[in-house]
Parts: sequence; C-alpha cells; structure tokens
Amino acid sequence: MELIVLGVSFGLLLIIGVPVGFAVGLSSVATIITAGLPVAVVFQKMVGGMQVFSFLAIPFFIFAGELMLHGGIAQRIVRFANSLVGHVRGGLGMSNVLGCTLFGGVAGSPVADVSAMGSVMIPLMKKEGYDTDYAVNVTTHASLVGALMPTSHNLILYTLATAGIASVSVLNMMLACVIPALLLTVLNLLAAYGVAIKRGYPTRGAFTGWGEVFNSFIAALPGLLIVVIILVGILSGVFTATESAATAVLWALLITAVAYRSLSWNDFIKSCAKASKTTGVVLFLIGISSAFGYFLAMYDVPERTGELMGTITQNPWMIFLMINLALFVLGTFLDMAPTLLICTPIFLPIAQKFGMDPTQFGVVILLNCALGLNTPPVGTTQAVGCAIGGISIGQVMRSILPFYGALLACMMLVTYVPAFSLWLPNFVLGH
Amino acid sequence: MYTRFCATLSKLSLMLAVAGLIVLIACVQYQVIGRYVFNDTPTWAEALALLLVLYITALGVAVGVRDAGHIGMDSIISLLPDRLRLKLEIVIHILVGIFGALMAYNGYIWAALKWNDQKPMLPIPSSMDYVPLIIAGVLVVLFTIEHVIALIQGKEVVPAWN
Repeated sequence: MELIVLGVSFGLLLIIGVPVGFAVGLSSVATIITAGLPVAVVFQKMVGGMQVFSFLAIPFFIFAGELMLHGGIAQRIVRFANSLVGHVRGGLGMSNVLGCTLFGGVAGSPVADVSAMGSVMIPLMKKEGYDTDYAVNVTTHASLVGALMPTSHNLILYTLATAGIASVSVLNMMLACVIPALLLTVLNLLAAYGVAIKRGYPTRGAFTGWGEVFNSFIAALPGLLIVVIILVGILSGVFTATESAATAVLWALLITAVAYRSLSWNDFIKSCAKASKTTGVVLFLIGISSAFGYFLAMYDVPERTGELMGTITQNPWMIFLMINLALFVLGTFLDMAPTLLICTPIFLPIAQKFGMDPTQFGVVILLNCALGLNTPPVGTTQAVGCAIGGISIGQVMRSILPFYGALLACMMLVTYVPAFSLWLPNFVLGH
Repeated sequence: MYTRFCATLSKLSLMLAVAGLIVLIACVQYQVIGRYVFNDTPTWAEALALLLVLYITALGVAVGVRDAGHIGMDSIISLLPDRLRLKLEIVIHILVGIFGALMAYNGYIWAALKWNDQKPMLPIPSSMDYVPLIIAGVLVVLFTIEHVIALIQGKEVVPAWN
C-alpha cells in the first residue's frame, strides 16, 4: 500500500510538472502519512542526508565551473584544439570535440561546457559553412564528456547516492571515469569525422606547425592544470576530495581574475549568485532524496524490482541491458542529479547481484544520464546547444544518429567490458 | 507592494547565500592551511562547514523557487490550453508552498526538541541544524504566494538579483 502511494504520487506530481525535488518531498510525506509514522522523520532524514563532508565538494565544483565559464578559457582551448586538428577534413568539428573534452575537464559539467564552448564554436562553424545541425550535435555530444571528468560534481553525487549500499570512494570514481571519457572522445571524433566526410565539409588551411601547438598549449595550460591539481592532490594524499574542490575554486579565481584578467567584478558576482542558486537546488534534491531512498529500502524496492527482472531473464547481459534501458528512459524525463539519486538505490543492488562492480555501475549510470541530456523532452545540454545555434530540437534530432551511435558504443563497451572502467583505479590504487 | 517585499527578501537571501559560500570555501581552505602550516587541524572547521552548507542550501532553495530555478517536467503542461495550464501552474505553486509549510513546521519541531543538546564540535545547540528548514520553509511559502498572485494577475515574477 505505502509503496503504491509512493510510486503513484511521485509519478503524478512529476507529470503535472511539480519540480522534481518537491515531487520527491511531497510523495515521501504522503507515504509516511500512509504508513502512520510521524512526518517529522522525513525532515530528519533530509537534514541527515546533507551532513556528509564529501558532499561539500558539490557546491565547490559547481562554483569553479561557473567561474571558468566567464574566464576566457574557452577561447584559449579552441585555439589549442585548432592548432592540433583544425587542418583535417571537417577540422572545426574535430577541434570542437577536442575543445569540449578539454573544457569539460576544466568545468566538469556538460551544461557549462556547451554554454562556454558552444558560444565560441557554433557561430564559428556556421560562419565557415558547416550546417547548424552538425555544429550543434558535435558540441552537445562532445560536452557530455564533462560529466565524466574529475571536476564533475555528478561523480560526487553518485558516490553519495551509493551510501548504505556499497562504498565507492570519490578517487576511485574519478579514476574509473578517465578511460571511458577518453573512449567517448575518440568515438565522438570518429562520428564527427564520418559525418564531415559524408557531407563533404572543406579542409581549412594547412597544419600551422608545432610552434603554434606549443604556444597555444602554454596559453591554455593554466586552465587545464585544474584537473592535474585535483587528481595529484588527492592521489598524493595532500587533499581530501572536498579540499581539492575548494582549491579548484581558488585556482579558477586565480586564473580568471589574475592570470587571464577576463573576470570582471560583475562576472564574479554573477558566478557567485548562480552557484548559490544551483547549490540550493542540487543539495535540496540530495537531502530530500535520502528520505526517498529510506522508503525505497524500507519497502524492498530494489529486491522487488530485481525479482521482477529475474522473472524475465537470469542472464546478466540481458539484465544489464534492461537496466540500461530503464536508466535511459528515466534519464530522458529527469535531469542528471535526480536520475542519479533516485535510480542508484534501486538499480545498483540489482547490478551488484548480477556481478557488476559498483564503480563500473557508476560510470554506466553517468553515461546513461549523459545520453538523457541530449534527448527530449528534458535534454538540458541539447536545449542550450539549440538555443545557441538558433535551431529547433526537431531539426537537430534528424541528424543525431551518428553521435548517439558513438555514445551507445561507449556505453555498451563500459557495460560489458569491466576493464574500461576498473583497470585504471585497480592499477593506480593497487587493489 | 508584496512583490517589492519579496524581491528585497530574495535579493537579501541570495546575497547572504553568496557570503556563506565564500566563508565556506575559506573554512575548508583554512583546514588545509591549519594542517600543513600550523600543524594543527582545526576540528571546528569541518563542523562549521557542514552547518554553513545547510544555510546556503536553505537560502538557495528559496531563491530557486522565486526565480523558477527548480527543474520539473514542463513538457506535458505546455501542451495544455492556456486556461487549464494557468490553473495547473497555480496548483503546482500551492503544492510547493504546502511542502514549504511542512518544512517550516517540522523544522520548528526538531529545533525545539534539540534545544538543549549541544553540537559535538561547536559550542551551539543542535537545533541550529534544523533552523535552515524553518528559514527555507517560510521563504518558500512567501515566494509561492507571490507566484500565485502574479499568475492570477497575469504578471511575471522577475529575479531580483543576478
């Protein structure tokens, strides 16, 4: 009974358009009233869910990403990417993929990535005769890599969502995402190149020489160093993950305000305000999801879902495929953070039962969420890309297949070949 | 008049949240500096940071409600005819307001209950963990009332600050 109330009220509230955090909260309240327990429990769980130290890394990474967005780092990264691959066929598409990957490492968020790189690259590509749908698709897909970077706050979110089910360290997740991120970049490059050949896009001048590669690299280096600082800082034990995130904010401030001098006081205040609002929205969702997760565990939702899936098949490959499908469908309707917070407690125990490592599952769910970011009805990254390109989502969807192909190939490889996600953390941390 | 009041309140909340965020970063940085430079890890820094983040979240949640920063599924209601959509939007705001009221009321219950307990690392009562619920709840209720009035009058609520 309580479970029906939980599921139905949550679904109904979502469909009529109640913001996700409040839908989670109201359905939790409805459930606890049905169960005859005091409503105050929901709010105790909510506050309790927010009192984890590693949780503080989230506002910091959001803040650092906001600062980097204003800081003129995007232009420098574009110059570097252009010097490397700008001269091949469809060169701007290739530079775009490379640039988005690098900026993704700096900002750690697909939406920040598409806003920063898109506003530089999409107009540039249009000016040089590339079709708008291609420009938007390349940018929105390449930006997804940001979710897998060490600066990604979604990665921290996942480690929080696993609390009580499995223990996945932040460092483990950061390392596990590195190879899948590179894999996705290579696949995106292939997709961008393939489409460029098919549409006969022009080549653009000759290779500008290693001198320009070196110079542009030095110009972009301060921004790129942020990833190195975080990884080396945590690996060497100098920082905890949270402290590294706080350092990332200071570093971002130092570069944008002092080194590049591209951050005005207004930009700074704007970044602060935006970061505070986003922090409120995301952390509220985390808090209230821990109440929701409490009910999911209390009413054995993972076991029941697992049993249900078990009646269809016992083959792990099929189970993983079903989990991917379920995550994909939910991910198209929900934004990244709610998908991670709501789906992890349900599907992680099932995946574990069929032999998937929790770290590997984390990369799989992040990739699924990423796919959802470029799929209507709620495709945040796609919507930003389309707005910059001045093109409708429908038009973009018509030529999206090669890019979906790249993402799906990456997802399947990560799902079925554990080494893609697990080799690096095992190698570095010596499990 | 009421809108002006809410706008000021929202601007003030967001400014406080920004100040909190900056102190939060300073707090965590101080922990690192304390450990390496002064060879003394301040125990209060972590506890203060965890407390501060609750207040930042509370203020951010409320301003998010006013500035429509919370993400929901709007694809289905956007298909409805105008009049029906207006009614549904009012219902959504009322539901959000109800949750705000629950948050404030239950926050008060917990704060009153824990008034005599002291927090482990800080010289303040444990109630302070639950005060953000009251702040967020009250602000959310005020801002949703503003939204409902604006919807009925056919106006729009514009973000007060940045």
